[in-house]
Amino acid sequence: MTTTRLTRYDRSMLRLMNDRRGAAWYATAARRRLAVAAHVTLTLAIGGLMTHMFLAEGEPLWAVAVMAVLLLPWMVATGVINGATRGLLELCEHVLDERQSAERRRVLARAHRVTTLLLAAAAATLLITGGLAGDAPKAYAAPLLIAVLVVHWVMPLWVAGWRAQDEPAEDGVLEPGTLGR
Amino acid sequence: MSEQVHNRLAVVRAERKVSRQSLAEAVGAHYQTIGYIERGQYNPSLDLALKIAKFFGLPVEALFSLEPFRPLTYEVYGRKQP
Repeated sequence: MTTTRLTRYDRSMLRLMNDRRGAAWYATAARRRLAVAAHVTLTLAIGGLMTHMFLAEGEPLWAVAVMAVLLLPWMVATGVINGATRGLLELCEHVLDERQSAERRRVLARAHRVTTLLLAAAAATLLITGGLAGDAPKAYAAPLLIAVLVVHWVMPLWVAGWRAQDEPAEDGVLEPGTLGR
Repeated sequence: MSEQVHNRLAVVRAERKVSRQSLAEAVGAHYQTIGYIERGQYNPSLDLALKIAKFFGLPVEALFSLEPFRPLTYEVYGRKQP
């Protein structure tokens, strides 16, 4: 945290992101990774439905309904990951301390590398499909672009959730190895 | 570059009865950061190390070192490490 004065928004976000009522959801590495896995799955499912809506003929109202239902657990999973990372990606830079800022830079750098690889794979797939079936790039370009955009948007959250560490032990409990390490 | 910096922050903080939260607020850090420093999972910047040392009124080398610390009792009572 810098010496910059925090705005009311900063303070409310800081409180929200450090609210420990849901701590049990992300207390262990296994639970955090489960939340990330659930978020990935739900994002893919919602993205798949969006693609279906785009490509399918007629009015697939059922797809909209299923998407609306899936959005709720998606938002819960997003909240769990944000709670686990203490709002690493949600809080303004000047609210974070030096460790959090460094972690955010690492997360964004790693997410950027992963997204670059995915983009390369998507481009290669589109080009190969285009070589085999002439209309394929035209038909799949828009949904693929949306999919890539969504993945680019949420990848930092997945990386941050995956990398989040266990909470230090409660105050007053000296952890093994902390006595004059 | 992940040179381990040893510290006796947990001991000093417990001895002074200072919570992680109050120390964190005093030095402008997150309470988890104090916990990670104590666990040796994060090496503080010189700026943060100096702020922590100033908070306790101790020289920085009393809290942080590149060499492992001897137990405080050995230093106080002059016993050699076995």
